[in-house]
Amino acid sequence: MQWKRITAVAATVMLAAVACGSPSSNNNSGGGKVQEGTTQEKATDPTAKGPAAEIDGAKKGGTVTILSDVTPDTFDPTNIYYVDGNQIGKLFYRALTQYKLDEKTGKPVLVPDLAEDLGTKSADGLTWTFKLKQGIKYSDGSLVKAEDYAYSIKRSFAHELYDSGPTYQIQFFKDGEKYKGPYAAGGDNYSGVETPDQNTLVIHLAKKFDDLPFYAAFPLFTPIPKSKDTQKNYEQKPLATGPYMVQSYNAGTSLNLVKNPNWDPNTDPVRHQYVDGYNFKFSQDLIKAQRQVLASNGPDANALSYSNLDTSLLPEVKDQSQLVKGDGPCTITLPMDTRKIPFEVRKLVAAAYPYDAWRKVAGLNSNDSPPASTILPRAVPGFEKYELPGLNGTGKGAQDPAVAADVKAKLAALGKSNFELSQYYSIDDKISTQVFQLRKQVFEAAGFKYKGIGVAKAKIRTYTGDQNAPVNIGKTPAGWCSDWPSGTSWFPVLFKSDAIALGNSIGQLQDKTLDAEIDRVTALDPNAQLKEWGKIDKMILEKYLPAIPLYYSASDFPIGKNLGHVINDVTQGMPEFTSIYVKQP
Amino acid sequence: MSIGSPDSTVGVEEHPASAEPVRAASVAHGKSPTRIAMDRLRKDKLAMVCVGIILFFILVAVFAPLLAKLEGQTFSAFHTDLVDEFGFPTTGPNSQHWLGVEPKTGRDNFARWVYGARPSLIVAFSATLFGTAVGVVAGLLAGFLGGWTDRIISWIIDFVLSLPYLLFAIALVPIVESMRGGSFNLTPEEQASTRFYVLIFVLSFFGWAGLARIIRGEVLSLREREFVLAAKAIGVPTRQVLFKELLPNLVAPIVISASLSLPAYVTAEAGLSFLGVGLVEPVPSWGQTIAVATNWFKADPIFLWLPVLGITALVLSMALLGDAVRDAFDPKTRR
Repeated sequence: MQWKRITAVAATVMLAAVACGSPSSNNNSGGGKVQEGTTQEKATDPTAKGPAAEIDGAKKGGTVTILSDVTPDTFDPTNIYYVDGNQIGKLFYRALTQYKLDEKTGKPVLVPDLAEDLGTKSADGLTWTFKLKQGIKYSDGSLVKAEDYAYSIKRSFAHELYDSGPTYQIQFFKDGEKYKGPYAAGGDNYSGVETPDQNTLVIHLAKKFDDLPFYAAFPLFTPIPKSKDTQKNYEQKPLATGPYMVQSYNAGTSLNLVKNPNWDPNTDPVRHQYVDGYNFKFSQDLIKAQRQVLASNGPDANALSYSNLDTSLLPEVKDQSQLVKGDGPCTITLPMDTRKIPFEVRKLVAAAYPYDAWRKVAGLNSNDSPPASTILPRAVPGFEKYELPGLNGTGKGAQDPAVAADVKAKLAALGKSNFELSQYYSIDDKISTQVFQLRKQVFEAAGFKYKGIGVAKAKIRTYTGDQNAPVNIGKTPAGWCSDWPSGTSWFPVLFKSDAIALGNSIGQLQDKTLDAEIDRVTALDPNAQLKEWGKIDKMILEKYLPAIPLYYSASDFPIGKNLGHVINDVTQGMPEFTSIYVKQP
Repeated sequence: MSIGSPDSTVGVEEHPASAEPVRAASVAHGKSPTRIAMDRLRKDKLAMVCVGIILFFILVAVFAPLLAKLEGQTFSAFHTDLVDEFGFPTTGPNSQHWLGVEPKTGRDNFARWVYGARPSLIVAFSATLFGTAVGVVAGLLAGFLGGWTDRIISWIIDFVLSLPYLLFAIALVPIVESMRGGSFNLTPEEQASTRFYVLIFVLSFFGWAGLARIIRGEVLSLREREFVLAAKAIGVPTRQVLFKELLPNLVAPIVISASLSLPAYVTAEAGLSFLGVGLVEPVPSWGQTIAVATNWFKADPIFLWLPVLGITALVLSMALLGDAVRDAFDPKTRR
């Protein structure tokens, strides 16, 4: 049990400061074999058609067991937001769009799912029309109707009931702030979504939201028939559209999936139906479960654990092919308040930062937290690898006496000797206090004054989340995870001047030139944006340095010896469940 | 017979052995009960070993800075070059780091261990001292004066015993911090020292009541005895009756209670620190180290064994000594 505790602690510390657009319940992350330094050519493919290409050597049959230490909070399609619920949900919920991972590079491409295309927007960008595939059936054999899509969108406005689900619809859809969902009085009448005929879904927006096709991949866009909606109990026996359906679900303990006979592979460009079923076992002891998976004895050979391998188990890994590695959707940084720390001093902070020592004290290793040199993580299309001198997430920093003396001299030359850096830390968290002590020792050696304000761990996010907090480094968001793999989920949200008011600003930048540049790229076609985000990324670090990139999230989880084609989905940092097969069923 | 020194056995020889009944060597006479008990204790080998161990730890704690200096390390310096990428120490015990280094941070194990003895002992001794003093005075007053004084003190004792002590320990920290100027204005060292004093206060605050109850009961039976009645009759002031007549008769329960509460406080400090509500970084303490070290047991067993051995040896010897003291004071005990 001790192991679980410290893992939870470590996870909290690492992610405590990360405001994930998608709050991830675990800090593992994934990805296929993404090649560094290459820009992706294509972010979307509206023409992808089912069935998905067969995987070499894949066999049918067998049951996969997933042993998980964490427990997804919900499987209600409207309420799913955490990465694990999202990823598991893909096995039985189909939405309007979905991601196809490139077989060679592992990069995600947005493709249609239950929609025929990726939606068409009107000239003013405020009306989106999705053509719907016909003949789709639910797991009980009944036909999916256009009204069901409209109903599930209406359902997502009942945010009081489904309070952990995503909220972009409230922000962007027409009357989003006013409409309270289908259960409220007059709930049937919502003008934001229309179904003129059985193969068309029209969505009206209050303001432009060009990322809607990406957002439409969330399970809240799966069809739900109004007559079958049992509100909070729907997750117990949901109607499935995907290749599997729920046989039994015990909240917090287990989820058993069996084949859905009414799923038609010809309509689905991504999913497969190789195995007979999935058994998810939640709330397992992390160390015990991962040890079982690594040993692969008997039924454990068909098991996997989607949490990152615990460091203490490293010596027990005999076969490296049992570890699935890859990129994740997050970057963690050390933000510096640009209003309080001058640019020249920010550069000295970056030079003095003791990356190597910090990584050790914070318990990070290159398998699950590779050093970062950019703002966009490798998993997001548009990532372009570059390294500014001294900004690659590694190095001794001012632990090297020569560097310390150099920084000290430069600070003095700027007239900023004893410049005070201040941060919050959790007084009741060992890693947080140790990191603080390390930074204090190192930065004071480099001629800074370093102040820490110790607050209770339970409250630290309230303090660090205040954009005007009386500290100048380490305010949240200290990192970011993308809700969808696109630069638009990053730069406009984090670095524009209005991000301060939204409480999302990294470094509290207020710069008109940068705002204009980000707006220019956001207005481009998604495929054309890919080449531009890398330039903006570099420009921000070079000219503004609002944060020091520290590390990317990454996957490194153990799988049983009998499992084939387990790859990481870089959009979630989770295994791609829908293409797994059992080698010897 | 030669003439010996004046105090030699001359006098004894003059009395024939049969003139006086032979006393067994073990039966003392003309000594106070405390002296008798101390004599018994001194003959108890186990008790003496325990005293030795406790003295050893006290010396370690007192000379912690000196010992660390002797080794050439401090308890707070990070040596991250001595741990690998995954946090495992790359060096074992060597001449620079006598007991190796901590995983992840690379801080010196030996220095942290000797400094870690300090909070355990300081907290245990000061809480015992304070708790005993208050408990004895409250118990004496309540038992001897009776009436309203007794009712009020007894009520307070019951009240204190009914308070949830763990909740109190957690809740008091922010209150005291705000009294010291709020956590925003405190340095980490000040915050850590706040925790330290709060811990001592909480332990002693909850420690006195039990003792006070025992003392009150003893006093209730003693105050009707002839020597107390006589003292009162000839007009001896209350203060003198309490401290000159009654207190000496209460030495046994007091010493026993104190010697048993010492190990309890050492464990309580380590336990609370382990749970994260006791001491915090940067103060090194065994409890905190154990909390971290359980996760590194396989890779770095010495890291866990050091504080565990420290606490076990200290608590065991204190507990055994407490038992021995009780046996010594209780004439009915036969081993």
